[in-house]
Amino acid sequence: MKIEIKNLKHKYPSGGEALRGINTAFEGSDPIAIIGQNGAGKTTFAKHLNGLLRPTEGQILIDGESIHEHTTAYWSKYIGYVFQNPDNQLFLETVRKEFEFGPKQLGVPRHEINDRIDFVSELVGLKHRLSTHPFDLNATEKKFCTIGSILMMDPKVIILDEPTCGQDVEGNQRLTEIITYLKNNDRLCITITHDMKFVVRNFDQIVVMAKGQILMSGSKNLVFSDTKTLLESYVTPPPITRVGQALGLKDISFSKEEFIDHFTRRLHQR
Amino acid sequence: MTSTLIQVSHFSYRYNQESEVALKNVHLEVAAGEFVAMIGANGSGKSTLCNALVGLIPNYFVGYSEGRITVDGKDTASVSVGELSQTIGLVFQNPFNQLSYTADTVAEELAYGLGNRGVPRDEMFSKIKKIAELMQIDELLDKNPLELSGGQVQRVALASAIILEPKILVLDECTTQLDPIGSEQIMDIIKKLNESGITIVMVDHDMERVAELADKVYVLQHGSIVLGGTPEEVFCSPQLAEFSVSPPDYYEITKNVIQPGYREKDFALTESQAIALLQEVLYEDRNQEPQA
Amino acid sequence: METIDNSIAVLVRNINPITKLLIVFCLGIGCLIYPLPFVGYGILCLLVILGILIGQGKQVLKLIAGFGIPVTLMLLFIQGLYSPKNITMIADFGFAQMGLEGTMYALKISSTLLIFLAAFYLMLQTTKNSETVAALTQSGLNTKIGYLILASLNVVPQMQRKVKVIQEAQESRGVEISGSFIQRAKAFLPLIGPVVLSSLTDAQERGMTLEIRGFGINGDKPTSYIKVETTSLDIVLRIIAICFLISSLIPRLL
Repeated sequence: MKIEIKNLKHKYPSGGEALRGINTAFEGSDPIAIIGQNGAGKTTFAKHLNGLLRPTEGQILIDGESIHEHTTAYWSKYIGYVFQNPDNQLFLETVRKEFEFGPKQLGVPRHEINDRIDFVSELVGLKHRLSTHPFDLNATEKKFCTIGSILMMDPKVIILDEPTCGQDVEGNQRLTEIITYLKNNDRLCITITHDMKFVVRNFDQIVVMAKGQILMSGSKNLVFSDTKTLLESYVTPPPITRVGQALGLKDISFSKEEFIDHFTRRLHQR
Repeated sequence: MTSTLIQVSHFSYRYNQESEVALKNVHLEVAAGEFVAMIGANGSGKSTLCNALVGLIPNYFVGYSEGRITVDGKDTASVSVGELSQTIGLVFQNPFNQLSYTADTVAEELAYGLGNRGVPRDEMFSKIKKIAELMQIDELLDKNPLELSGGQVQRVALASAIILEPKILVLDECTTQLDPIGSEQIMDIIKKLNESGITIVMVDHDMERVAELADKVYVLQHGSIVLGGTPEEVFCSPQLAEFSVSPPDYYEITKNVIQPGYREKDFALTESQAIALLQEVLYEDRNQEPQA
Repeated sequence: METIDNSIAVLVRNINPITKLLIVFCLGIGCLIYPLPFVGYGILCLLVILGILIGQGKQVLKLIAGFGIPVTLMLLFIQGLYSPKNITMIADFGFAQMGLEGTMYALKISSTLLIFLAAFYLMLQTTKNSETVAALTQSGLNTKIGYLILASLNVVPQMQRKVKVIQEAQESRGVEISGSFIQRAKAFLPLIGPVVLSSLTDAQERGMTLEIRGFGINGDKPTSYIKVETTSLDIVLRIIAICFLISSLIPRLL
C-alpha cells in the first residue's frame, strides 16, 4: 500500500494554518516515527491519512486513488487510526465488544472475528480483561484496548498517536512487540511520539515536523546526527545518543550496546 | 532545620469493589523543601498514593483505609479536600481532567482556583499574567480550554496548580504530552519552584529525569514501598530489576565501560556526570598513551 | 458561540446578562398578559430584525419556522376548533367550527412561546454562560447553585463535542455517518447510551478537580475573574422592559 501526499495544506475554519504544504510518500512496512514540537501539526496530518480531516489544498493518494473518492468509513478497511486520547475512542460496554465492533462493520465472518480476538487480546495483553468495561481499565490498558480494536480490523496501515504516554517498562516492551508484529506481517506502522528512547528503539525511518511542515526525514542516523535541525522542532536526541555526541564519538549510538562498543573502540583506537 | 511536611504512617487502602489492596502499609516521610520521586510499574499504587496525599482518598473515593496521613500537621481524613488544597496541589495524569469545564477561556480557567480562595480580581490579573509568561501560555489566554491540544492543556493544567502557590506540589506524570524541549522547560520551572522552597512529589517513568532532579526516590510495587533512598542508593541497588524498574541509561553505560574500582566512583546517574566521567577516562587514557 | 463583529453585535454582547434575562422575562410575560396577540407578533418581528442585525437572522428564522409554525398550527387546531371558550364562530370546516376566542388564545400562546424562544436564543448567542452565572452570583446567588447552573448549561455543548468525537472514532472503525437519514440514525442511536454514561463519569472526575482547586472552601467568599458591568444603557433597557410589562397590565385594569 502506498500513500502519497502532495502539497497538503490544511486551514482551520478559524483561519489558522495547521499544515503548510506537505510532500511525502509512505510505502513498505518499515515502521515510521513522526516527531516534532507540540502544535507542529502531527495529529492534524495523521487525521488526513484516513480522511477524518480533508485537505484544504493539495491531495492524498492511496494506491493512486484520491482520498476524496471515499468516506473515512471506507478507508478504515485499509488505514487504522488509534486516537491519542483513548477516552475519545472507546464507546462500548466491554473490551470484547470494542474488539468486535470494527470487524463487524467490515463484514468479517464470525469465526474469523473470534480467531482475531484470541490473537489480538494476547498481543495487547488484555486476554483476561475481555469482559471488563473499558471505563474500568487503567490508562495504559485503555490505550492497549484502543490499539487492539484497530488491530482487529487488520488494516494495511496503522497509525498510533502518542502510544507511549504513561507507559512503564512492560508497556513499552509490549508496544515493541506490536510494532515488530506489524512489520513482520507486511503492515506499515506510523507512530506519532515525543519519546525519543522509544523512537530509536523501534523506528529507523523518521519524519520531523515543525510549524505545519516536514523539516526533515530519513533514517535515524541521519535525523539524530543533525541536532541543529532537530532543535528547531523542539526535539533532542535520546540520552545515550547525547552522551556519545558530547564525547565526540565518531559513530552515533542509540543503544547501550552500541555506545559501549563505540566507546571502547575509541579507547583502543591509538 | 528541616521539618516533616508529609507523614504517611502505615497507610493501607482498598478501593470499594476491588478485591486487592491498592496501598499496603505505606510508610513515608517527606521533609519540607524535598524533591521526591515515586517510580514503579503501572498499577503499583503511585497514582493512588497521589490521591491519598491530597485527601481525595479517603474524602472523595469510596473505600477502606487504615493508618493515617498528615500534611502540614493536618490529618487528611479529618479536613476537607478544599482545605487541604491551600497547602497541597495535584496535577493529574490526564491534563483534561484538570479542567473545571466551567471556563470559557484559559484565563478564566486559571482564575478558577483563585476565585474559590477569594483572591481579589486585580490580584488575579497580575497572577495570571505572571504564570502565563512563566508557562509560555500567554497566547492561549483567550482560547477555549477545551479546544487546545494535549500539550497545551498540559501546560494549562500545571499552571492552574502552580498559580495557587501550594507548599507542596504533587505531579502525576505531568509532561507526557509535551515535546522533549517543552518537557525540559517545564522541568526547569519545577526545579526552580523546588529551589524556592516548594516541596515536590513527582510520579514519573523517565529515570534520567528522576536521577537528575530528585533528592529521594521511592519504588512502589503492588501497593508497597519496596525501596527508598537517594537516587544513588536506589539506582545502584541490586534489587532494582525485581521491581520492573531500570536505572538511568547513564548508569548502565558508565558502569559497563569503566572497570570496577578504576576510580572512586565508577558510575554516573546524570548526563553531566556521565559526560564528565567518560571524558576523564578518555583524556587519562590519552595521557598514558606516550608512555605506553 | 459564534463571534460576530459588527458594532450592534458588540453592543448586545456587552449588555449585562441580568438585563437580558429581565428583557426576556418582561417581553414573554408582558405578551402573555396583554389581551391581544398582535403585540406579541410585533415584538417577534423586532426580535427577528435584531437577529438579522447581529448576524443571526437565518438561525432565528429557522428556529421560528422549525418550531413556531408546527406549534402554532397544532395550537390553532386544538384551541381554535375545540376550546370551550369559543362563542363567536368565524369559520365552518364541516367536522368542526372555528371559534374566535380559541383562535386568539392559540395565537397568544404561540406568540409568547416564540418570543421566549427567540429572545432566549438571542441571549444565549450573545452571552457567555460564565458571564450569566457570574452576573447572577454577583447579584447574590449562592455560588454552589451558580456552579450547578453553569455546569448544566455547559452539558449540552460538551455532549455535542463528545458525540462529534465518538463519531470520528466510529468512522475510523468503518461506520458510515454520512448518507441517508436512516443510515445516520443507525449510527447515532447507539451513541446515546455511551455519551450519557461518559458524561456521568466525567462529572465524577470533574468533582475531584473542583475539590483540589478549592471549590467551596468554607469561610472565604469566592471572587470571580469575570466582572459584569451595569452601564447606563442597562438601566435604560431595564426601565423600558419593566415599563412594557406594566403597560401590558393597563388594558386589563381598565
